[in-house]
Amino acid sequence: MTTMQPTDVSTVEDPIFEVRNTSVSFDMARGESNVLDSVSMDVRRGEVLGVVGESGSGKSMFASALLDAVVDPGMVTGDITFHPESGEPVEILGLPEDEIKRIRWEQIAMVFQGAMSSFNPTMTVGAHFEETLSVHDRPVEAGMDRARDLLSELYLEPAQVLGSYPHELSGGMKQRALIALALVLDPEVLVMDEPTAALDLLMQRNIIELIKQIAAERDLTIVFITHDLPLVANLADRLAVLYAFEFVEVGPAYEVLTGAKHPYTRALLNSTPNLDTPREEMQPIAGAAPDPVSVPDGCSYHPRCPLADERCVEEDPPLDADDPADDHAAACHYVERVREEIPLTLQEVRRHE
Amino acid sequence: MYALKRVGQAAVTLLSVITITFALIRALPGGPGDAIRAQVMQSGGSSNVDMTQLNALVESYTNVDPSTPLYVQYWDYVTSILQGDLGQSIWYGRPVSEIIVQALPWTVLLLTIAILLTFAIGIVLGAAMAYAEGTDFDVGSTVVSMLLNSVPYYIAAILLVYFLSIQFGVFPQSGNVSSGLEPSLSLSYVGDVLYHAVLPVASLVITGFGGTAITMRGNAIQEIGEDYIRVAHLRGVPGRRIAVRYVGRNAILPMYTQFMISVGFMFGGSVILEQIFAYPGLGYYLLEAISTRDYPLMMGGFLVIAVAVMICVLIADLTYSRIDPRISDDDAREAY
Ligand SMILES: Nc1ncnc2c1ncn2[C@@H]1O[C@H](COP(=O)(O)OP(=O)(O)OP(=O)(O)O)[C@@H](O)[C@H]1O
Ligand code: SF4
Ligand SMILES: [Mg+2]
Repeated sequence: MTTMQPTDVSTVEDPIFEVRNTSVSFDMARGESNVLDSVSMDVRRGEVLGVVGESGSGKSMFASALLDAVVDPGMVTGDITFHPESGEPVEILGLPEDEIKRIRWEQIAMVFQGAMSSFNPTMTVGAHFEETLSVHDRPVEAGMDRARDLLSELYLEPAQVLGSYPHELSGGMKQRALIALALVLDPEVLVMDEPTAALDLLMQRNIIELIKQIAAERDLTIVFITHDLPLVANLADRLAVLYAFEFVEVGPAYEVLTGAKHPYTRALLNSTPNLDTPREEMQPIAGAAPDPVSVPDGCSYHPRCPLADERCVEEDPPLDADDPADDHAAACHYVERVREEIPLTLQEVRRHE
Repeated sequence: MYALKRVGQAAVTLLSVITITFALIRALPGGPGDAIRAQVMQSGGSSNVDMTQLNALVESYTNVDPSTPLYVQYWDYVTSILQGDLGQSIWYGRPVSEIIVQALPWTVLLLTIAILLTFAIGIVLGAAMAYAEGTDFDVGSTVVSMLLNSVPYYIAAILLVYFLSIQFGVFPQSGNVSSGLEPSLSLSYVGDVLYHAVLPVASLVITGFGGTAITMRGNAIQEIGEDYIRVAHLRGVPGRRIAVRYVGRNAILPMYTQFMISVGFMFGGSVILEQIFAYPGLGYYLLEAISTRDYPLMMGGFLVIAVAVMICVLIADLTYSRIDPRISDDDAREAY
């Protein structure tokens, strides 16, 4: 199963996605812009994988690459293998248009960043469900029953929501309706790109609870993308941290949150607003996020890293663990020094059950 | 509730228009009363003019009897106009309403064809430009649209008449139908009517579609960039359906009020256009009335045009929120 060295922790048992050396690039006037830089990552069947990183780190690119849906004129290269529940593995990239169209939404659905505008304002919410069912040749009657069930499960009044125009619903209602729309064809994977970013804190928690519930009930695999660490802390089974268009750390959520191995993850944890953290004590990460046209050589975090030295400037650290059996890894030359030299200020992370 | 208020407003506007025409009739120096008096005096000599007879004459032409008190005059005028009596044309010696009933259908015919073509061409072209944004076709069409849009329709009309009728004789120079043809629904009659309508319609369409195309292009480009278009693609909605049901529809809807208002404005534009083509529609008679100082006909023409504009705006106003679900009644109120 493993295609790289045995220490490569991006591989997992029973993967539903195997992402290998996948890059996204844009041709820009200033030069080629690599907004996802040869990343490899597996997604385990049935897990909730949280992907975190600061704004502009490539999270949305990773999410849309999974459906080969990167915005034009972005170019995706590499291998993304999708293992459906039944049937042969599928190479997502380079699939003919009609085949990828069938996989999208039927097997891999996505909830977008900016869900507030994911509905056509001149169509009722219900018409979106009917349209989705009919373009995928599903029986509309049965599908709408399912839609109503989903909506009730998300604590919405089905008749009212389906008959409304998008602008007649609140943000939280639209968000939940969109989740129902993503699930109406009963997909195996749901990719959620900052699905709660526009909502208030309470509504965010609410929706996270609902997603947890729904995922558990229907063996759904979820890739949950956010810049908000505490938000996924409670939801994700595993966490993957993106920095400068590369994964710098991956591991079981609890371990990453309590024993982060990468200086960037630790800085992110220390800067993270927490419900219990007074605002004054928050310290933003010093330095600026790298520009995709000119990512620093060596370890891309070295301009901002307090531990950086010559080696970091010259040598790009691979994402692997010291111990091949360890499923928690970080892309840093000095993992063993991190714990002492960058203490975590955040004392308490609730263990997610 | 809102509809009631709007209709009420329209009624007040109508009454104001009538009041203004009434005031004009009374107050204009050398206005209709004087004009009629002058005519009678000319024909009958100044010595033996019977004042009562003269006043009766003025009344039959203008619905205003100068010998009664002002409020009676006003009341008579308003009530007879509301009953459809617009007075008597001095020049043609026929009731104004009769002339208008005869002329109006021709104007409506021209305008209907012109507006439908203007919007159809503009919308299709604008959508095509949006989908081809940045290509040579898009840039070229934008330039052509803007150029044509900046040409006044009457200049286009004069050029068309000069080249296509006078120089090459491809189209008739004037009129609405060849003389001698009996009105019927026969192919030859309808064909002849359309043949005569080509140039007037073309001058409106050629100078009008560019504005629609550029608005449509802008609206459609904005739509194409919306998140829900991307989501619709991912949901598997076919591209053609997205172009029509999402981009097309959402881009056209905001142009609906513009459409209705342009109907009203074209009514106004028909005055000069019909004069150039000697096309016997409402505008033609209105201008004739002005040059012959035929006040009753003039007032009647103004009134009909004002009412037409008012009705178009009222319809636009009342139906917009029903046509575009994004607009609530509250927003529609702010559209004007
Ligand atoms: N259409 C585009 N053309 C060129 N570069 C782009 C384009 N869209 C995004 N980028 C660049 O790609 C990089 C990664 O973008 P991405 O949207 O994946 O970030 P993100 O991690 O999702 O950020 P956010 O939290 O703000 O959503 C950014 O640096 C951005 O500037
Ligand atoms: S490799 Fe060097 S620069 Fe990069 S994170 Fe580790 S210590 Fe910092
Ligand atoms: Mg994003």
